[in-house]
Amino acid sequence: MNPSLRTSASGMMAQQRMIDVIANNLANVNTTGFKRSRVSFEDVLYETLQGGRAANETGAEETGAVQIGKGVRVAAVLRLHAQGAPENTQRPLDVAIEGDGFLQVQRPDGTIAYTRDGGLSLSESGSLVTNSGYLLLPNITVPEDATNLSIGDDGSLSVTSSTSTSPVELGRLELARFVNPTGLLALGQNLYAETEASGQPVVGYAMEDGFGRVLQGSLESSNVEIVQEMTDMIAAQRAYEINAKAILAAEQMMQATNEIIR
Amino acid sequence: MPLRGIVNTARTLAFYTRLQEVTANNLANANSDAFKADRMTARLLPGAAHPVPVELTDLQQGRLRDTGRPLDLGLDGPGFFVVNTARGERLTRGGGLRLDTVGRLTDSQGDPLLGPDGPVLIHGRDVEVRADGTVLVDGASAGRLRVENVDGPAGLLKEGFGRYLPSSRLRPVSEDATRVRQGVVEEANLDPLLSMVDLVTIQRAYAANIDALKAMDSVLGAVTNDVGKVP
Repeated sequence: MNPSLRTSASGMMAQQRMIDVIANNLANVNTTGFKRSRVSFEDVLYETLQGGRAANETGAEETGAVQIGKGVRVAAVLRLHAQGAPENTQRPLDVAIEGDGFLQVQRPDGTIAYTRDGGLSLSESGSLVTNSGYLLLPNITVPEDATNLSIGDDGSLSVTSSTSTSPVELGRLELARFVNPTGLLALGQNLYAETEASGQPVVGYAMEDGFGRVLQGSLESSNVEIVQEMTDMIAAQRAYEINAKAILAAEQMMQATNEIIR
Repeated sequence: MPLRGIVNTARTLAFYTRLQEVTANNLANANSDAFKADRMTARLLPGAAHPVPVELTDLQQGRLRDTGRPLDLGLDGPGFFVVNTARGERLTRGGGLRLDTVGRLTDSQGDPLLGPDGPVLIHGRDVEVRADGTVLVDGASAGRLRVENVDGPAGLLKEGFGRYLPSSRLRPVSEDATRVRQGVVEEANLDPLLSMVDLVTIQRAYAANIDALKAMDSVLGAVTNDVGKVP
C-alpha cells in the first residue's frame, strides 16, 4: 500500500481540527469576553533513508540522507488573550476590563475561577454575582435601599443610600492576572481555571501595578474577527481538499500498479 | 535487455512512490508553523548504473503572520532558535512556543529555548523580545535567545515537531541578516499550487513507467514464447 495515504489522512484530520476551532471561535463571536484560539500544527516523524554512494576512478561520491515525513499533527491550540473592544451597554452593573486582569468568582464547589465577563447582577441577598449566579470575590453586598450605583475606573464601588446624600464606598473589585494567560484552562461559561502553566494568580486592584482599568456600563466583546476566521476557514478547507487530492493521486498510482498483470 | 529495463523501471516506480510521499507530506504540512518544504530529485552519480534520490530542504523564508500573542516568535532571515532537549541541542524556527511551570520559554514539546547561559527565565508580566533576541521582562533584561545556523542545508536533519538536528557546528547569525519578531508565526514556505502540479506530474510519470513496463513485458513474452516456434 502507498504509505502516503496515511500522511495525507493526517493532513485531512489536522485541517478538520482547524475547522473545529474556527467554528468555535465563530460561534462565540458575540460571547462577552471570549478569547479566540489558534491551532498550531507541526510535522511528525521522519523516515531517514541512507544516501546513495558510488565509487569510480576519481573517488567515492555520496549523496545526503533522504528524509520522508509522515504527516502532520496539532502541536497546540493556543488561546489569544488580546483585548476585545469595549461595548457600551449603559447598564450600571456591566463592567469591562481594559487591560490586564480577570474578575474572580467562586464556583459552587468552592474553587476560584477567573473571568473577563463583567456582566454582573445582584443576588437575592444583594451580593454581586456573575450571569451564571456565581459569587464575585471578594464579596460585595449592596444594601436594598441603595441607589446610584457607581463603579470607578479603579474598581471602587459606591452607592447613595436613602439615609445619606453623599456616596458611600462599599468595596473595591479585585482583579487577578497571570504570567501566562495562554496557559489557563477554559472551563466554559466564560470561566478559566489556573493551571501549572498559567502560574499562580497575582491579585490586585484596577489601575495599580499594571492592572487594567474598569469601565462601568460596558462589556468586553469577543476578540474574534469574522473576516480573519473566514479567511482561515477558506485556507483550512482548501488544505483539506488538497490532501484529499493527494490521496486520490496515490490511489490512482496503486490502481496503475494493479494493472501491470492482467 | 528487457529484463534490466524492467528492473530499472521498477526502481523508477519506487522513486516516484517516494516522491509522491514527500509531496503528500509537504501538502499535509501546508499550515504547519515554520514548516520547510522538502524537495526530492534524482541524481546519477558518476559510474552508477541508475540514479539515486537526493533531497534538499528548502529553507526559504516563510511569510510572517501576525498573531498578537506575545509568546509567538518568528525569525525574519536565516537561522534557528536553539532548544535544549534530553538528546542534545536541536534547532527550531518557532511555532507553538509557551511558558512552562518554572517560567522557561519552551517549544511545543516542552523543551526550553536557550540563551548563551542556559534557558531564558520569564517571571513577570510584560514580555518584550527585541530584534536581536534580547528578552525584556517588565522592562528589565532577562537574557538573550540564541539565533544560530549551520553551514548549508545539508547540515540539517529533520526530527519532526518543527525540530532539526544540526549535523555541523552551529554559529551565530548576524543581527543584520536575521531579526527576531514578536507576535508573529512563520507560515509554511510551501506553494500548494506547485505541489498540486507536482502531484499530477508524479502520477503521469508513474503511469508512463507502468506502460513502459508492460511494453517490455510483452517483448519479453514474445521472446520467451514465440521465438523458435515453427509457424
